[in-house]
Amino acid sequence: MGTKELISELQDFYLLSFRGFLGLVRRPYYSKDIIEQMDYAGAGSFFIILLVSLFLGMALSLQLSAELSGLGFKMYIGRIVGVSIIREIGPVMAALVFAGRVGSGMASELGSMILGHQVDTLRVFGVDPVKKLVTPRILGSLIMLPALTIIGDTVSILGGYYIAVFVSHQSGAVYWSSIRGVLNFENVLSGFIKPFIFGYLIACISCYMGLSTKGGAIGLRRSTTSAVVVSFIMIIVADFILTRILFYVLGFSL
Amino acid sequence: MIVFDRVSFFYGTQQVLKDTRFSIRFNERVAILGGSGDGKTTLLKLILGLLRPDSGRIIIDGEDITDKKEDELREIRMKFSIVFQEGALFDSLNVKENVAFGLREYTKMTEEEIGQKVRELLGKVGVEHAMELMPEELSGGMHRRVAIMRSLAAFEPKMFLYDEATTGLDPVNADIICRLILDLSKDGKGFIIVTHKVFDALRLADRFMFLKSGSIIFDGNKDQLMQSSISEIRIFLRELNPPLA
Repeated sequence: MGTKELISELQDFYLLSFRGFLGLVRRPYYSKDIIEQMDYAGAGSFFIILLVSLFLGMALSLQLSAELSGLGFKMYIGRIVGVSIIREIGPVMAALVFAGRVGSGMASELGSMILGHQVDTLRVFGVDPVKKLVTPRILGSLIMLPALTIIGDTVSILGGYYIAVFVSHQSGAVYWSSIRGVLNFENVLSGFIKPFIFGYLIACISCYMGLSTKGGAIGLRRSTTSAVVVSFIMIIVADFILTRILFYVLGFSL
Repeated sequence: MIVFDRVSFFYGTQQVLKDTRFSIRFNERVAILGGSGDGKTTLLKLILGLLRPDSGRIIIDGEDITDKKEDELREIRMKFSIVFQEGALFDSLNVKENVAFGLREYTKMTEEEIGQKVRELLGKVGVEHAMELMPEELSGGMHRRVAIMRSLAAFEPKMFLYDEATTGLDPVNADIICRLILDLSKDGKGFIIVTHKVFDALRLADRFMFLKSGSIIFDGNKDQLMQSSISEIRIFLRELNPPLA
């Protein structure tokens, strides 16, 4: 891809993201589509997030137990599990799972609508495809990814508790008191802002890739793969940038 | 009247239409013939303003639509009824909801009135029993019939546009669609059908245009088409008398 095409694509992407967001505050509202998207993104991803979070929390706790036991710092398992899950691993893990499942679904659905002339049909009927297709997906992601992240964080911490108490034989009271200690405003805010940004990024990237599908089945495969790969990269990059900003704003010392 | 004045269109670096010039009256019955990828569907999309030409002007009913914005094109698009290739029904909606889509967007009809209108429209094409079915449960012929009725539900078009309306259908279903197309044009409304099925084109249209690599290489009536010496047209006409093996 040449520089000119890249700039043109970025311009189209920003325009779509902006118009999709603007649709949240401008009529008409497609409430049925919004509910459908929330159901697909949220309820559909619930068990996957549950499962991944549980095992991630257990694996993290197991690794820390092995390492900290040798140093005699077993009592810090809860604290480290809590901070890393709430501030970092929980939001990123939920976003990656969300991008893999929901983002790829968005791109392939919109892509097949483009190839089947359904988006053209919407335009013929005078319906703005961005408002009808992109805005509900952005809103669905903005609401459901933070909700899934909270659920995922809780399950991860419970998984960590199971390992800390029943495998590593640490006191449950110590674990929970450590978790309570890290549930302060800065940590919770830091972990709660990220899913909103990630959700917006995933929805915009996936919708853009889907709506720019060209060239039949191969084009559809390309746009779906690109949606997931670009979302993954952007989640990781955005996570670093957000962490840096939040550290500065919330006054975490390095 | 639809006027194309030296219209050129590119998909990326590939030129799809080259300096195309023609005019079509709303009451004409036109078939645009040509091979796959020769720009037939692009031409229909340009008429509706779904694509913007890279050069030249497109004038619909006296209005230059070349540089019109999306919301200004709404009025222009209401003059046409288009049926895309394979129907383009919305996958997520059942037959009833598909046909009701335009009614909900354009009219203030009550749910009861919408239900009645949808039943009436589907009844005309014999698919009222399929109201609750999803598009993937329909046969190819039913798909096209529902798509035609959906395109007419909300407004009275001046002209119909059909993109490969009979392609991929068996002869019985193709015949049903052809009869429906002729039926809808009985009251003097014209249509443009883009197709590569010359048999159906000859049955439906009075005027024929042939597109090759983005240029119109033939524009004439049935007799002129049948007597044309253009090699591509002769190849298409072989469909009428296929050589016996």
